[in-house]
Amino acid sequence: MSNTESAVSRPGPSLDLYAVALALLAALLVRFNLIPPIKW
Amino acid sequence: MATAAIRTPIAASFGQRTIALIPGLLLLAAVGYAGKFIELSINAYAKAHHTPFPDIEFVLWAIVIGLILSNTIGIPRIFAPGVATYEFWLKAGIVLLGSRFLLGDVLHLGGISLLLVAIALLLSLTFMHLLGRAFKLKPKLTSLLAIGSSICGVSAIIAAKPSIDADDEDASYAIAAILALGAISLFTFPLIGHALHLSDKAYGLWAGLAVDNTAEATAAGALYSDAAGKVAVLAKTTRNALIGFIVLAYAIYWSSRGQAQVIGNKAAFLWKKFPKFVLGFLLISLLATVGFFAKPQLASLANLSRWAFLLTFAGVGLRTNLRELGRQGWRPFAVGAIGEAFIALLTLGLVFGADHYLKL
Repeated sequence: MSNTESAVSRPGPSLDLYAVALALLAALLVRFNLIPPIKW
Repeated sequence: MATAAIRTPIAASFGQRTIALIPGLLLLAAVGYAGKFIELSINAYAKAHHTPFPDIEFVLWAIVIGLILSNTIGIPRIFAPGVATYEFWLKAGIVLLGSRFLLGDVLHLGGISLLLVAIALLLSLTFMHLLGRAFKLKPKLTSLLAIGSSICGVSAIIAAKPSIDADDEDASYAIAAILALGAISLFTFPLIGHALHLSDKAYGLWAGLAVDNTAEATAAGALYSDAAGKVAVLAKTTRNALIGFIVLAYAIYWSSRGQAQVIGNKAAFLWKKFPKFVLGFLLISLLATVGFFAKPQLASLANLSRWAFLLTFAGVGLRTNLRELGRQGWRPFAVGAIGEAFIALLTLGLVFGADHYLKL
């Protein structure tokens, strides 16, 4: 089966929640200038 | 032409699991950055030598490099856990992309998307079931293909499989067909969009409504233009938000026929199946709308989102295995392909209509 399934069907909080938590943490770090500006 | 050929070994502890991610993460970063490097190098060469050369986005290069690697030398098992994180980066990237939308735009475009999704869903689910019957597919395989192609690709199939008590084999077939068709869409959608001279908004909406998997829909949008990529993510996110309702409807249908367990608490079921990153996207968009972030900070968040997508697109190529396509039967693929063509045409018509009557 797919790697997606192995990630999604494992026990514990969903992948979505970890991704949201990481993105919100990054947003706060940027907001309070705790990390340098991100370039592309 | 894809199937997920990479398996994730189960590591014993959190520390071991984290260490196991490193090789694959480095591979994602290397492939993604190679794509960006090729784009920049070609553009710099074309500019220095005044040679006209089409600007091919890093997205395509990253996917092509990943495809070549996975289908020639293959991806050793040590890279598998890290490569499998591409979907995690996709979701984090989508949440951060919320910073590039004002909530009013989200509601306007999201509202149009929702209307179009509802119409497309109704017609495509009906069409897929008629096709499944014509090709004599097993009813539950048809259900999985219908859910996968009309709502949200692999995630929807995974969400639906236990709810309708489908076989592992049926789910594998449906996932393989959906991934294969998603890979084909990546290369055909931008060509069709350019041939029809679609605007960024119209194309993005079309890609978001018609391409199944979120990673492929994001890539298909980004391959057209940055603005189209933004709209494609928004439309696809709207579609994703409906997963729970569709899966619940199928679960009720199959349980009423005595072929799946009865769903007790329907609200809890809907919440469990609801993709939580949609809420993160809306929250960041709300914060951006109320001025929580300064302008340079918004630029940083948008760039963070691009870096997350760079890892995602590398993963899309790396997890695609063309050889696996031959191992699945032709009928599920044929049903998926005909269904996808129908959905692509249907949604294209809907987008033209929306562009004309609702002013995208």
